[in-house]
Amino acid sequence: MSRQKGYWSFRLKDYGTGYLFMLPWAIGFSAFVGFPVGWSLFNSFNNVRLTNDGFKYEWVGLENFRRVLTEDNIYPIQLLTYFQEMLLIIPLILIFSFFVSLLLNQRLPGRSLIRAIFFLPVIFATGQVLMELFGQGAGKLPFIAQYNLDGVIREFVGPRIAEPLLNVLSKAVIILWYSGVQILIFIAGYQTISRSVYEAIRIDGATPWESFWKITLPGMIPFIGLNAIFTVVDLFTFPFNPVMYTVRDNMFRPQTGYGYASAQAWMYFLLILFLLGAVLWITYRSVIKRGGFR
Amino acid sequence: MTQLPPPKLSQLSRTLELFRSFQKPLFLRLSKLKRVSISKSLLIVCFIGLAFFMLLPIIFLFNNAFKPMNELFLFPPTIWVKEPTMRNFEQLFLHAGAAVVPFTRYLFNSVFVVFLSLVVVILVSTMAGYVLSKHRFHFKGLILSMIMLSLMFAPETVAIPRYLIVSSLGITNTYLAHILPFIASPVAVFLMKQFIDQIPDALIEAAKLDGANDLYIFTRIMIPLAAPAVATISIITFQAVYLDIEGSTLYTTKETMKTIGFYVSSLTINLQNSVAGQSMAAAAALLMFIPNLIMFLLFQRKMIQTMLHSGVK
Repeated sequence: MSRQKGYWSFRLKDYGTGYLFMLPWAIGFSAFVGFPVGWSLFNSFNNVRLTNDGFKYEWVGLENFRRVLTEDNIYPIQLLTYFQEMLLIIPLILIFSFFVSLLLNQRLPGRSLIRAIFFLPVIFATGQVLMELFGQGAGKLPFIAQYNLDGVIREFVGPRIAEPLLNVLSKAVIILWYSGVQILIFIAGYQTISRSVYEAIRIDGATPWESFWKITLPGMIPFIGLNAIFTVVDLFTFPFNPVMYTVRDNMFRPQTGYGYASAQAWMYFLLILFLLGAVLWITYRSVIKRGGFR
Repeated sequence: MTQLPPPKLSQLSRTLELFRSFQKPLFLRLSKLKRVSISKSLLIVCFIGLAFFMLLPIIFLFNNAFKPMNELFLFPPTIWVKEPTMRNFEQLFLHAGAAVVPFTRYLFNSVFVVFLSLVVVILVSTMAGYVLSKHRFHFKGLILSMIMLSLMFAPETVAIPRYLIVSSLGITNTYLAHILPFIASPVAVFLMKQFIDQIPDALIEAAKLDGANDLYIFTRIMIPLAAPAVATISIITFQAVYLDIEGSTLYTTKETMKTIGFYVSSLTINLQNSVAGQSMAAAAALLMFIPNLIMFLLFQRKMIQTMLHSGVK
C-alpha cells in the first residue's frame, strides 16, 4: 500500500513539474491560438451577424461552404490560380535550394559568410519589409518588362497557363529569398550521411555522379519531404497571398460576414492539409521503397 | 663505438617517392592542380553573384532611402542612387515632429513592448520546450500535433476572436494587449524542443543524482546550453513583435499606446499614393529595417547553428 503510494507520489511529482512548466505556455496558447482557431471553425458553420448587442449566430451547417463553392465567382478561381502557382513554385524552391546547398556543402573559402548571406533573406522575408520592397517594385525582374517577355509567353502557352507562369516569373526573386531556411535544412541533412559510405562507394569505383544518385539523393529524401512541407507552410502564410486578401475583405463585409469568411479560410486550410498529406505520402512511399527509415 | 645502420627503409621509400613523382609528367600534375582550383574559383564566383542577388533588396532599400524625388520615380527603377540626399529623412522627421503624439513616444512603446515580450517569450517557450523534450506527462503528443497544426494557421484569419479575447480580458489600451498575444508562440516552442532534444539526457540525470532540483537544472543547465536556440527565438520574436501592427490597430485605440511599426505603416499606407509620401516611405522603410539587420548580425552565427541542429525554422 505504502509502496503504491510512494509510486503515485513519484508519478505526481514527475508529471507535476511537466505540467507546471507547461502551464504558462498552455494558457497563452489556448487563449490566443487554440480558442480563436476553434471559434473560427465553429463560425464557419454559422451565419454570423454583427448586431448592436454583440454577435448573432445562426446555425446553417455546411451552407457557407456550399455558397463559397457555387455562388462565389471570385474565390474558387483565386484559390485555384494560387494553388497552381504554388505547385510551380514549390519544386522550383526545392530544386534551387537543393543544388545551392549541395555546392555550399563543399569546402570553400568564406563558406560561412556565404551561408550567412543566403540566410539573410529570412529576416526581411516577413511582413512589413517585404511589403515595402514589393510596393517599390524591387521584387520584379526588370528583363521581363524590358524585352516584352510576357506577350511572348502569353502567345506561346495560352492564357490559362501563362497567368501562373508569369506570376512565378515575377516572383523569381521571392523564390531565391524564400530558400534560405531550406538550404540550411539540406546542409543539416548532408551531415546525417556518414563519410564512410562515400569512401566505400569510391573504393568500389563509383564516380561522383553515381555517388550523388545512389547515395546522396536517396539519403536526402526525408529532408526533401521536410523541406516541401516547410515550403508549403511558408507559402501558405505568405503576406501577398491573394486568397488571404479576399478572406480578410469578406470578414468585414456585411453581406458575407465572419461566418462566410471563416468557411473560406477553412477551405483554404483543408486544401493545404491535403497538399501536406500528399507530400507526406510521397515521401513516405519513396522512403519505404528505398528500404525503410534509417 | 658501433655505427648505427643507416635508415635504409626510409631512404628507399623516399627515393621511390621521388621516382614516382618524376614518372608523372610535370605539366599533368600542374594541370590537375589548376583544374581543381579553377572549378572551385568558378563556384566561388557563382556564389558571389548569387549572394549579390540575395543582398540586392538590402542594397535597394539603402539606396532608395537616399534617392532624390526625381530618381524615385524612374522607370525602370534603378538600384544605385546617383545623387544621394538626406532630404527624405529631413521630410520624415519634419512630418513626425508635426504629429500630435511625439515620435519618441512610439519609439518608447516599441522598445518597452519588444523587450518585455522577448523576456517572457524566451522564458515561457524554454520552459515548455524543456518539459516537452525531457519530461513525461499526459497529452504530450496532442500538444505537439497542435503546435504543428497551428504553425499552418495564418494569424489574419483569427483576428476577430483574438480581439474578443483581448477585450473580454479588459486589457485593451494597455501594454499587455501588445505582449500577451505573442506569448504562446508555436514556432518558438517547436524550435526549442527540437534543440533541447539533442542535449544528452545523461547530463540531466547526473545533475539529478547530485541533488539538483528541476528549477536548478532548468536555470543552470538548460538555459546556458540552449543559448543558440534562445538567440534564434529572440530574432524571430523580435521581428514578429517589432513589425506587428495588429496590436496597434485592433487592441489599442489610444494614439499614445501604439508602436513604431504602426506609425511607419500608417505613414506608408496613407502616403503611398501621394507623390510626396513616396520619399518619406523610402526613408521610413530603411529606419524600420535597420534594427532587424542589427539583430541578425548579432545573432546570425547562433541562429544558423540552431537551424542546423533543429532542422526546422
